[in-house]
Amino acid sequence: MPPKITPVALFPLLAALALPVQALDLTWSGFGTVGFAVSDQSYNYQRFIDNGGTFKRDTILGGQLDARLSQQWSATVQAKLAPSDHGDTDWQASLAWAFLSWRPSDDWLIRAGKIRLPLMLNTENNDVGATFDFARLPQEVYSISPLTDLVGLGVSKTWFGESMDWIAEAYAGKVETSWRYYGREMTPDQGAPGGWFLTYNIKSAGLVLTARSLDNIFRIGAHRVEASRDGAKIGTPILNIGGVYQFGVGGEDKVILPLFTAGASILLPAKIRMSGEYAWIKVDSASEGLNRWGAYLSLSKRMGAWTPYVYYAKAKSRDSALAKYQAINGNVVPSPYVASQKFFADIILPYDQSTVALGTTYRLTPTSLLKAEWSQANTGVASSLVDAPSGGDSSDKSINVFSISYNFTF
Amino acid sequence: MSRLFILLLIWLPGLGLAQEALVVIGHGSLPKTELSTLQRLYTGRVVSIGEHAATPVNYPAGHPLREKFLATVLGQSEEQYTGYWLVRRYVGKGAPPEVLPDVDAVVAHVQATPGAVGYVPVSKVPAGGNVIFQR
Repeated sequence: MPPKITPVALFPLLAALALPVQALDLTWSGFGTVGFAVSDQSYNYQRFIDNGGTFKRDTILGGQLDARLSQQWSATVQAKLAPSDHGDTDWQASLAWAFLSWRPSDDWLIRAGKIRLPLMLNTENNDVGATFDFARLPQEVYSISPLTDLVGLGVSKTWFGESMDWIAEAYAGKVETSWRYYGREMTPDQGAPGGWFLTYNIKSAGLVLTARSLDNIFRIGAHRVEASRDGAKIGTPILNIGGVYQFGVGGEDKVILPLFTAGASILLPAKIRMSGEYAWIKVDSASEGLNRWGAYLSLSKRMGAWTPYVYYAKAKSRDSALAKYQAINGNVVPSPYVASQKFFADIILPYDQSTVALGTTYRLTPTSLLKAEWSQANTGVASSLVDAPSGGDSSDKSINVFSISYNFTF
Repeated sequence: MSRLFILLLIWLPGLGLAQEALVVIGHGSLPKTELSTLQRLYTGRVVSIGEHAATPVNYPAGHPLREKFLATVLGQSEEQYTGYWLVRRYVGKGAPPEVLPDVDAVVAHVQATPGAVGYVPVSKVPAGGNVIFQR
């Protein structure tokens, strides 16, 4: 598959190349994760993890070019190779970032191009496993935002304090992104189980406030996401018509999704680090289960080269969405309609699951580390992080996952 | 064996210099500064001293002068400093200071480059050098 590159994203690179060679101060760096994960279940969890094991969930390879154009101007391009975000079988080379930075003074930073959003504490660096200790970031929280980057403008202003810096970041832009669905009995195109991806046009803007010291960070953000699809309505209701659930009439050309994020990472006495994050989103679409909150709390402590950690995470859709899922999933219909009812239940996209994880990082060098983690995910009513098995569903499942990875930068 | 000899040639002078007090030197036009500004400069949080653009340079990881500077000025270990810049680079907030191999290179760079800032043992400050910070 060819690299996914938008013309706007190439602007920073072209700006860098337009300068005389002697004006450029180029710095290359690379990063990667080779990760293996295996579960004790035959169905897929988080797209790829089953009892056969997979390298596809966590493995990624990337490179970053930082070009310093002058004292105030710089350009950054980051490319990565990872499993596709619009297909379950392919790998995809893409430009994760490509932006031009202007720093007119110490306290202002303006970036234009393809930028990653300051959503959760590790959203901007979540492709670089060497920058955080978890084997993978808690998906109960990190899967909530419908986008992580966009093509647009980001402006940040910093107020320097005695012991803490205060940073306000505002952004606006748009991006085309793919959302994944999974049908345990059928998809829109075939009468067999499988995943499919719908492309959405996203416009988004947000404001994020961060307080940061050497040891602690606090962040809160409010975001507005506008989603639309070319030639299709969003929010077409799923109705019970004559005892069978099916699409009704209606829907909107676009939907507005408010997203709220908050997080903190604090160094406690005895050098124990406590981190917690929360995200909440409201989605008015047929996929009512996307209305949900997610949160986690973790404790970790660095002891020499080792950093053991434990976290508990939970995600839950609105009760009415879970009730609707249960109504459709349990709807008793003649056999020709069974698969369609499971299809409509699946596209509700319900989330009701928690995860407890226990793991450790072993730091080989300041820029490379090994990670090992055991986690157990337990579902309640259902979870769309699980590709539910045909003939069954994703309720009341317990999934043990063992993960090991080598994370590096160079 | 020859590799070990070369390493010794590189590091032994550094070990001796690390016993001396460090001072921070800047290109001619840079004003005196204070500890908090230096800490922010070497962590990429500011890009100027006073009204003057400033660009810090550093020594390679593991260099005795760098270890001393990190410990006494930034209050960090090599691992903490590298980890800090690892995250900062990969959240798109810039790259760490340029690395120069030794004291002579730092002195030459600071003298020749407007806005450049570096640190050297006090005995290596060139005649007429602009010392902008000294503990």
